[in-house]
Amino acid sequence: MPTGLKVALLAALLSLAANIAVVGFIRWQTYDDSAARIHRDVIEEAAVLEAVYATGDEAALRRAITDILVVRDPHYFAALLSPDGRPEAGNVAAIQRKPVAGYRIGRLRPLGARTDVDAAYTLRRLDSGDWLLSGRSFGQRLAFEQTLERSLLLALAIAVLLGLGAGYVLARYVNRRVRDIATVADRIGDGDMTHRVPLSGGDDAFDGLARQINRMLDRIAALMEELRLLTDCLAHDLRSPLGRLRARIDAALSAEDEARREALLAGVVQEADSLMRILTTVLEIGRAEAMASRAQFASLDPGDLVAELAEMYEPIVEEAGVELRLDKAAALPPLFGHRQLLAQAITNLIDNALAYAPGAELTLFARLEGDTLRLGVADRGPGIAPEDRAEARRQFGRLNAARSTAGAGLGLALVEAVAHLHHGQLELEDNHPGLIAALAIPVRATR
Amino acid sequence: MGRKILLVEDDRETADYLIRGLTEEGHSVEHVSDGREGLFLATGQTFDLIILDRMVPALDGLSVLKALRAANVETPVLILSALASVSDRIEGLESGSDDYLVKPFSFAELLARVNALLRRSEARSSAADPRLIVGDLEIDPLARTVKRGGRLIELKPREYKLLEYFARNKGRVVTRTMLLEQVWDYHFDPGTNVIDVHVSRLRRKLEDGFDEPILHTVRGAGYRLGQSS
Repeated sequence: MPTGLKVALLAALLSLAANIAVVGFIRWQTYDDSAARIHRDVIEEAAVLEAVYATGDEAALRRAITDILVVRDPHYFAALLSPDGRPEAGNVAAIQRKPVAGYRIGRLRPLGARTDVDAAYTLRRLDSGDWLLSGRSFGQRLAFEQTLERSLLLALAIAVLLGLGAGYVLARYVNRRVRDIATVADRIGDGDMTHRVPLSGGDDAFDGLARQINRMLDRIAALMEELRLLTDCLAHDLRSPLGRLRARIDAALSAEDEARREALLAGVVQEADSLMRILTTVLEIGRAEAMASRAQFASLDPGDLVAELAEMYEPIVEEAGVELRLDKAAALPPLFGHRQLLAQAITNLIDNALAYAPGAELTLFARLEGDTLRLGVADRGPGIAPEDRAEARRQFGRLNAARSTAGAGLGLALVEAVAHLHHGQLELEDNHPGLIAALAIPVRATR
Repeated sequence: MGRKILLVEDDRETADYLIRGLTEEGHSVEHVSDGREGLFLATGQTFDLIILDRMVPALDGLSVLKALRAANVETPVLILSALASVSDRIEGLESGSDDYLVKPFSFAELLARVNALLRRSEARSSAADPRLIVGDLEIDPLARTVKRGGRLIELKPREYKLLEYFARNKGRVVTRTMLLEQVWDYHFDPGTNVIDVHVSRLRRKLEDGFDEPILHTVRGAGYRLGQSS
């Protein structure tokens, strides 16, 4: 069954159910009540006359009917009918149906009237074969209720039609919104990543869905762009070490001197190692981005981690003539994370700081600010200009000024990937002067 | 002294290169090229060391390793793998291997690790004097004290750990990566010469005031603790 038809039927059914409920409620509140009252009155009044007949005879009954009719209640009927239904006494001129014993609702003509009225009455057969009739006309209230009931039924019929109409309109609307999304999905599927789902501006659930889909498409497009950039840059950055590698091998092949050949081959090994390193780091980034390493997450003390790395790097930083400081908050919450990747990320930040910011001091910090844990490095170097920061995060996107410095190209991209793996991000801020580079990790997300 | 090594490696070229090198070092090498055969040999005979490629036909390296450990074969295992990421390394180590080496590797690196593993299996069988003696250097792992020529040398905790690792592999080459993994428990390449600086600090403390060097740099490979001989 097509979705549009389903939606239409559902809407019509729901509208019908709601209307039946309302109509039923009104009917139950009114008709049922007065009908029951009339039924009760008729039975009671009949019982009085029957009691008279039971204690006396038919003559006493005739007298009792005459006495009662003295009151002249226009809604009350009492009569004696012949066995074939002709009135003999009382205020009834005629009944429309053949007399049958029991409670009836039917039409009868009051004495002296020209038209029949709706009434409820009981008939009882007397020993002589005559009938005792006792009843009440419905009066205005019940007549009104009967009209009301007819109106309600009519309303119900209209409601069904309206429900079908509403269902049709709704189905068309839903179909159109869904088709908008499906069209975009088709175009994206055909490889055109530029399409986005249009928003109606109404801020409804469809717009919410459209926004979500658009966000997802933006993210996919960004990832594809990153991937394209990565392969481009990888090709570019591998070209020069590969070129050097080849040149050294050529030189080694043609070298006459044993010592010189050995030196050249040592250089070859170095180049090969640096190539391996680049490839390994690219794989690490890919893995961290694919969140594949979460299996190795464990609870760790971020303060200990930073202290350990400070201890590890203290000698080499000192040898570079830089003072290494450790700024570690006293009580840090435990971090559920990947120790190796976090250490590698922070190590990258230290390496970067050493390579680009040969300043006077370097601070390794672990702080808690609100719900965010910040682990990172603050240096006193030239920093990175705000407009260059996005470029700095990008894989291989070494800043032009720093192009000549070997190595650190992949650094920040890996740090960012590790931060994302921990539901956080890489923050680059001004240290006035210098750069603060930190992994900002929400504490709650790490549990 | 030659030892018996089982090599499970399907790449012909790597296998030849390893067999030649290890045989030159005086070890005898048994070579198979698929995992099932490797498992069969390893459970049937006694080896001093198993070198296991992670991706071999019939049964992959990690499965072989798990089966071996499940069968209570405690022979040290060195895993070789082209999978270089930190996660892969840790997975390899967690599945019960004693060491993990990423391809491509230098033969010096492999040899250093092979010797360290063989040395460890030796040490397991002979537990006697807990003190470690290297020439005139005396290390007491229980008291965590270091003396050279009877003179007490003050070391920081990390320096002590570094020295103890050297001493447990005395006379053998220890590579930078081995130090990073064993002393710091980091399984990635920090790219800078962090380890060198720590080693040269330790060396200064050990050799300050003594004529004879004891901690040597082995060019293209790593370091070696021992008398120069």
